[in-house]
Amino acid sequence: MSRVDFSDPSTIAALADALTVAGVEGMEISWPAGNLRIVVSKEAGTQVSMMGNAQPGPAALAAAVKAPLAGHFYPLQPSDCNGAERLPRTVSSQDVIGFIRVGFVLLPTPAGKAGLLTRQLVEPEALVGFGDPLFEIEPL
Amino acid sequence: MADPVNEVYLADRRFDRVLIANRGEIAERIQRACRELGLKTVAICSEADRQASYGKTADSFLCIGPSNAAGSYLNQDAILLAAHLIGAGAIHPGYGFLSENAAFSEAVEKAGIAFIGPEAPSIATMGDKIAAKRAMILAGVPCVPGPDTALPDDTASVERIAREIGYPVIIKAAGGGGGRGMRVVHEAEQLHQAIALTREEARQAFGSAALYVEKFLQHPHHIEIQVLCDIHDNAVWLGHRDCSMQRRHQKVVEEAPAPGISADMIGPVGLACVEACRQIGYRGVGTFEFLYENGAFYFIEMNTRLQVEHPVTEMTSGIDIVRAQIMVAQGLPLEMRQDEVECAGHSFECRINAEDPESFLPSAGMISDLALPEGQGIRVDTHIHAGYRVSPYYDSLIAKLIVHAPTRADAMAKMREALSATRIEGISTNLPLLRALFEDEGFARGETDIHYLEQWLRQRRGQ
Repeated sequence: MSRVDFSDPSTIAALADALTVAGVEGMEISWPAGNLRIVVSKEAGTQVSMMGNAQPGPAALAAAVKAPLAGHFYPLQPSDCNGAERLPRTVSSQDVIGFIRVGFVLLPTPAGKAGLLTRQLVEPEALVGFGDPLFEIEPL
Repeated sequence: MADPVNEVYLADRRFDRVLIANRGEIAERIQRACRELGLKTVAICSEADRQASYGKTADSFLCIGPSNAAGSYLNQDAILLAAHLIGAGAIHPGYGFLSENAAFSEAVEKAGIAFIGPEAPSIATMGDKIAAKRAMILAGVPCVPGPDTALPDDTASVERIAREIGYPVIIKAAGGGGGRGMRVVHEAEQLHQAIALTREEARQAFGSAALYVEKFLQHPHHIEIQVLCDIHDNAVWLGHRDCSMQRRHQKVVEEAPAPGISADMIGPVGLACVEACRQIGYRGVGTFEFLYENGAFYFIEMNTRLQVEHPVTEMTSGIDIVRAQIMVAQGLPLEMRQDEVECAGHSFECRINAEDPESFLPSAGMISDLALPEGQGIRVDTHIHAGYRVSPYYDSLIAKLIVHAPTRADAMAKMREALSATRIEGISTNLPLLRALFEDEGFARGETDIHYLEQWLRQRRGQ
């Protein structure tokens, strides 16, 4: 099973809600080259400041494309004889980048966001659960 | 009910892989019973439960939906899909969620998968409180005074029925349960407004506006009788429990046997419950709930599932109820006859909830440190561990602490020791409340009706 995906906006939103309810007014995230500080203030609104000499690289901003339901994962249509598509490659949000098979039904999985498709995280035909990360996409 | 001599039917019911359609401590408990029976297990989870310990020990583990229960643990299609994907031959629904959903039981069986629970018609009958009461009266089970039909619409008839029962009466939704959809009426002037309010509540909450009326008992005890039935017309009852210690209709402490109730008093009621099961062709485990007041028992409802409090009956009867439930679902006959059921000693169960002990608000967060009691006669059913994150999405029950000893006084003393040895850091729990409760003299004397805990809490707050 995979870990909780902290790049998922809904996870971040749920965390932010929980922190707000708990009365948290700010948070600070540190990484080796710098840190990010978010301060929530009723008067001044939310302020974000980044310190240090490094911005997080594209890899740090990579997002996961997740399985929309449980089933068997296929990166290509099972009938496709052309072999695997190469990675990395640029995709648009509408591009179908994989399939989930349930019985005789093949459900296309769109990229959901435009970017550079860098990694396939699941072996072909593997059983995946709802929300399991299938691919990684980095912003262009 | 299936023909018990139909070998094809029995062969169809054999399975070797069980999908556990639940979460938390009961998922852990069911997995243990399956393992002891040599069955493979499939654990499912929502996104919030991906780190669950029972996922790591199951033979298969699959996330089926988002954190909200409607999209995961209540999502019938997603659960059936998971069962098909992994090849589960049976689904155990645990308690709560879909455990008493007749449509789910039917859908599971139609999909060629064994439902570890009663058949859909039994669930439907017992889910309709009026139909259940009618079935119980037919079987000779004592019921609360009041008609076994829905309340009529005309005002004069309703007034006459309430007058004949005698005030106070209680108006209940036929499709209700768990303390919802009911209203007490102390005098005739309140009757019509109470009916109108309850009818609207019932329509919105349960999808049926049908109501019924019963005598309202002032200081009853909540008594339960555990039954176990197979498809070969065998049925037994496994003793009785007292679950009167409740707050807002939610049980906090349960015990077996119920104090102050002799074998002579409860015996005929237990046999009537068994007879009722035979009459309705009941399969699996079930619980008959009664109110007990002034030496008389009054049936209130039947739960057609495994109960949270089943361990106290397991401790006194020595019978593994979950194991027996699974074997019955496989079409096997019960391993015991009624004359072989012997209950011994006394057992208590405390429900440990992740909640503030004063305000009772849920307390989500990470358990930073944990110490659980061990020893003879002590059992802890739980899924938590140090580092476990209590989710805000579900019920606050995080552990059940169960003790067993030769006498009630011994069991109380053992529970006091067990509670003092229990430590859960990082979140708030009701442990302080439970510790205080087990020091209470009234509780020690067994003088607890269903209002006792609420009154005790009010006194503690100085109200």
